[in-house]
Amino acid sequence: MSTLVINTIQGKTTAGSVNVRGEGSNNTNLQQGLCKQWCDWDTSGTIAIRDSFNTSSVVDHASGYSKNLYTNNFSTQNYVGSGSATGLNYGSPAVMSNARATKLTSEVLIRHFHGTSNGVVNPDDVMFTQHGDLA
Amino acid sequence: MTIETPEFQGTHLWNRLHWAKDNLDGVQTDYRVVWEDPEEPDAPAKVTVPDPNWLACALQGGILPPVEVYWALAEDEAKPDFKKHTRGYLLHNTKPVDKMTEEQAIEYLIMKDIPQRVWRNYEKANRKRLVICKKQNLPSHRTWRNAWKINQEVA
Repeated sequence: MSTLVINTIQGKTTAGSVNVRGEGSNNTNLQQGLCKQWCDWDTSGTIAIRDSFNTSSVVDHASGYSKNLYTNNFSTQNYVGSGSATGLNYGSPAVMSNARATKLTSEVLIRHFHGTSNGVVNPDDVMFTQHGDLA
Repeated sequence: MTIETPEFQGTHLWNRLHWAKDNLDGVQTDYRVVWEDPEEPDAPAKVTVPDPNWLACALQGGILPPVEVYWALAEDEAKPDFKKHTRGYLLHNTKPVDKMTEEQAIEYLIMKDIPQRVWRNYEKANRKRLVICKKQNLPSHRTWRNAWKINQEVA
């Protein structure tokens, strides 16, 4: 077994594109698979952020709505977010990006809601990750 | 022990954030920014909390781009034919800002993450629509969250 000890992997043909051999004959592009922003925050009382990457702030937008803002913008509005939440009494709370019209390269509005009633909730642990191309 | 920030001008901002995550401890602040959007007069007040890793970068200095860079990108994005940022290099190539105090960082964050219509001409508005406060000044429960407004007497 060999151990690779390096600081940087750079594409030879295109510096910012490295392929990883996947199953069979397909290749997985390394950069496209990386999470570009994530955040773990508490919406249950006075809003607070536990930890994150590439996040400059979170906004307590209203009951059931939070906004994540980024330090390094995405290059387009066509990036993808997904999330989850935990907390007592929220019926397996769910998390989703709000309407596309509220999405910018610098921020996304996120809705957290009750898993069965669909009503807005404010769980103590909301988690969101985003993939896409950075500016 | 203080750690010296490498010379980051020209380094992708993403890579600087990796360096910060590896080398700086997050800084939790008690400051919160409460604001109302004049374009949504019926909406409740919003509360902005600075990210601890971002705040660590601001206090360290030499990592974050000037706030004007974000304004330039926002101007590009506001154009009706916007598809993709073509001036993303401004984030990476513009000389990073020096270290800030916690209060200066909050002011920078207001100008970065809160719409300009909220804080431009702040002094001339007929209603206070932005307040910097401590989290202890906010309600600790959310029973009436969608009725929160800035108390004009306090502001």
